[in-house]
Amino acid sequence: MPIAKQLSSMELCDADGAACRLGAFWGERPVVLVFVRQFG
Amino acid sequence: MFCREQVAQLRDAQHEIRERGAELVIVGNGAPHFARAFREDFALDGPLLVDPELRAYRSAGLRRGRVEIFSPRVAWNGLRAIRSGARQQAVQGDPWQLGGVFVIRPDGKLTFAHRSREAGDHAPVADVLAALAPDAPPVEETVAAPRAQVWLGRALGALVDPFIVNSFDRTGFRIHALRFDPNDLDVDLGGRRCLVTGANSGIGFETARALADLGAEVVLLCRNRERGEEAVARIRAETGNARVSLEVLDVSKLADVRAVGARLAASRVDVLVHNAGVLPDARTETDDGLETTFATHVVGPFLLTKLLRKRLEESPDGRVIWVSSGGMYTRALNLTDPNWKKRAYDGVVAYAETKRAQVVLSELWARELAGTSVVVNAMHPGWADTPAVASSLPLFHRITKAILRTPAEGADTVVWLAASPKARETGRFWFDREARRTHFVPFTRNSEREARDLWKLCEKRARSGGKTPDARRRKVAR
Repeated sequence: MPIAKQLSSMELCDADGAACRLGAFWGERPVVLVFVRQFG
Repeated sequence: MFCREQVAQLRDAQHEIRERGAELVIVGNGAPHFARAFREDFALDGPLLVDPELRAYRSAGLRRGRVEIFSPRVAWNGLRAIRSGARQQAVQGDPWQLGGVFVIRPDGKLTFAHRSREAGDHAPVADVLAALAPDAPPVEETVAAPRAQVWLGRALGALVDPFIVNSFDRTGFRIHALRFDPNDLDVDLGGRRCLVTGANSGIGFETARALADLGAEVVLLCRNRERGEEAVARIRAETGNARVSLEVLDVSKLADVRAVGARLAASRVDVLVHNAGVLPDARTETDDGLETTFATHVVGPFLLTKLLRKRLEESPDGRVIWVSSGGMYTRALNLTDPNWKKRAYDGVVAYAETKRAQVVLSELWARELAGTSVVVNAMHPGWADTPAVASSLPLFHRITKAILRTPAEGADTVVWLAASPKARETGRFWFDREARRTHFVPFTRNSEREARDLWKLCEKRARSGGKTPDARRRKVAR
């Protein structure tokens, strides 16, 4: 399954704790989606 | 240190990313307060998300392990990072997780993918920017669940499944999801028409959204016009699929079911999801003289299926899905007093009995439609945090809130049953994409005769209900 489709419906929290659906970020424009190792 | 080095590089390129009409979205795996500190350190003004359970990391196929952190290359990368000014801070997140970078276009195509092989193996910024060019070719990329992960999912599932809490809750979903094949939903539902009842919130909404995301035409069948229209607008905006519409329908009102059913049957129907549900505190009765839960969960959906049967049979891949509940495990089919006229009303029992009836009806419809293209299945979503649970079972919701599944997790098996080419068995009861038993205790079993009596009862109620008083009088006169 394409990664974008797999990630699309996934909900993560932002830094303020609000839920965000990942797919919404690339609904209208391209995104550079960066996964960092950790926040250290 | 490495993540700081990488984010510093990408932040410096942020204006070039934005010049190309794109946005930088950063995901980390620690807690939100780590993210807030990180945002301040780097003065980030774009989206910064957290994935403490590493679900997105796993879905993206990112590596995790000790060898990847302690290899000789990592030492070399460390020197490079120090020279660039990055300094090691306290570990804030999973120390063994590796990162990656993806460029995703609005059509969902990937034009760049980089998964770190070891700590400090970053995506070259120039390559990321090149992937944002309008003519950048898509990268063909799929992720299959590693075999070890599938086995782990099966082994852990076998351990937790006997314990209801750890199976029905979010932990259960995440354990079961380890064995899901991500390719199961790599489907294009373009040309298919899917109907979902109770679709303005919770599991129904997530089902409708996911089916629209897969390209289907989706009709939301909702009681409340305003909430239904809001849901349609949201799904259209989030999926970019304009073929999402609303029909106002209260499935407990058989006259409405007849009218809307006739309209819906004017064009093709490929998928019918019976999701609408109620759990009233006190006994209420519909205009047809039926107890509301019985009408909403059993008679209304039965009549709607009957009205759409021909259209479903015309579909090359027709599917009917009954969204039942794990609560049905506690009750047997009750045909002696389905309308609660002889008993003191108990909403939770009424709910469980009608959810049991849905499972039996699903099996009966599967038999009725055997030999056609239509498969009929029931499922239960586990314990999901939906507005319906919060309002109908406030105490349960308060106690279990921290462990409830998300509505999307609750809807996962509905979507799988509606869309996956693998979900072509019929007459089964599913939970987390796996066929399950329908009884745990002997007293909930029903006889073949009781099942037939349920069918006859539904036939009778569906035949008489929703007719105008004139039509009923004519029938009596005959």
